[in-house]
Amino acid sequence: MFRGFVAVAFGAAVLYGLQRTTPGYGEITSPIPVAGKPGQRVDATAFTIGIAKVHLVRAVTTKNVGRAGTFTTSGVWVLVEGAAEAKSESLTLMSAEWLGPNGIRYALSQRFSTVSGMLPAQRLEPGLPKPVLMAFEIPESQVSGGTLLVARSAWTPLEEQARIEMTGIKPDDIRPAAVLARGQGAVPWILSVE
Amino acid sequence: MTATAVSSGERRRYWLSVAALAIVLPAAIAVNSWNSLEEWRSRHVRTPLAVERGAIQHYAGAQWQLSGLTRLSESPGNTILIVAEFEAAVDDPELLQKGPCQVILVDDRGRRWQPTFLPPRVVRQARPAAADKPRCGALLKAEKGKTTTMAETFTIPDGATDLALSVTIAGARPEYLLFK
Repeated sequence: MFRGFVAVAFGAAVLYGLQRTTPGYGEITSPIPVAGKPGQRVDATAFTIGIAKVHLVRAVTTKNVGRAGTFTTSGVWVLVEGAAEAKSESLTLMSAEWLGPNGIRYALSQRFSTVSGMLPAQRLEPGLPKPVLMAFEIPESQVSGGTLLVARSAWTPLEEQARIEMTGIKPDDIRPAAVLARGQGAVPWILSVE
Repeated sequence: MTATAVSSGERRRYWLSVAALAIVLPAAIAVNSWNSLEEWRSRHVRTPLAVERGAIQHYAGAQWQLSGLTRLSESPGNTILIVAEFEAAVDDPELLQKGPCQVILVDDRGRRWQPTFLPPRVVRQARPAAADKPRCGALLKAEKGKTTTMAETFTIPDGATDLALSVTIAGARPEYLLFK
């Protein structure tokens, strides 16, 4: 009698544990992370990406690129300059997100989508590294401890995702303004921070 | 627990059922994943039809020929432009129009370049005739007995060697053309 009760209780505990620890569909098909740091080449199977510079500014003025004007924000602009290359097949990195320290993800800002060189607009070819630009609009509290997530698509299951831990970036580095202009050489933009 | 006498017939049926599982379980998995397997096969299993430069090859209801693979150098750095010009004399437009076509440039290291959306300015200056040719989507309007000439432009690094042009028509999979 007592042994039967123990067996049932044990079975219930095991089933409860299984139920609590079963991963959801989203977790099973979540992106495969490829970790990296700024200034390093982050090597995924399909592409490589490297982050060269990160600028924090309060306002961005555009010149000769799409709509001219000054773009302000109630938070902070994070402008990320880097380079990316496809490895075996032409592709476009459509998804870039800023993962804040509290787990909130911020998508690329659409406000500079006409600027040439923005990451989702650059078709990457094997053997030809291309400069890429990313712009995020985030609250000041999300600046330090952020992580940059870059992938071919945000929705495809089991997609590779470069996770670049943005160390050494802090709110003290926020500058008042930056100018984004059209570039003439290999880099299609010029970014000068005041 | 008390052991009860089990008749030999019951025992046989029990073991038969257990043995049947070994066949039924894989069969159930196969039936359920059949569609996915077919889809995977049509995407990944591919049979090339290798064509020498200048030769004519029958494929997907048309006679195909690669008429030119031109190298143009572009100003920034080590970038090269490849203009591929090819033509298809159409016998069976229905097969051609069954699905989209895909043109890819391949090198000896297996790297694959997709064509540019619009021909760059350099192509318009150096080979205006090629820049005005339609891309392979023009086959959707192909008519029987007519020849469609097409061109695609690729941006590739200088070091790429042994280039081959691959043409896939969805209706003719898993076969595809590979112009050496």
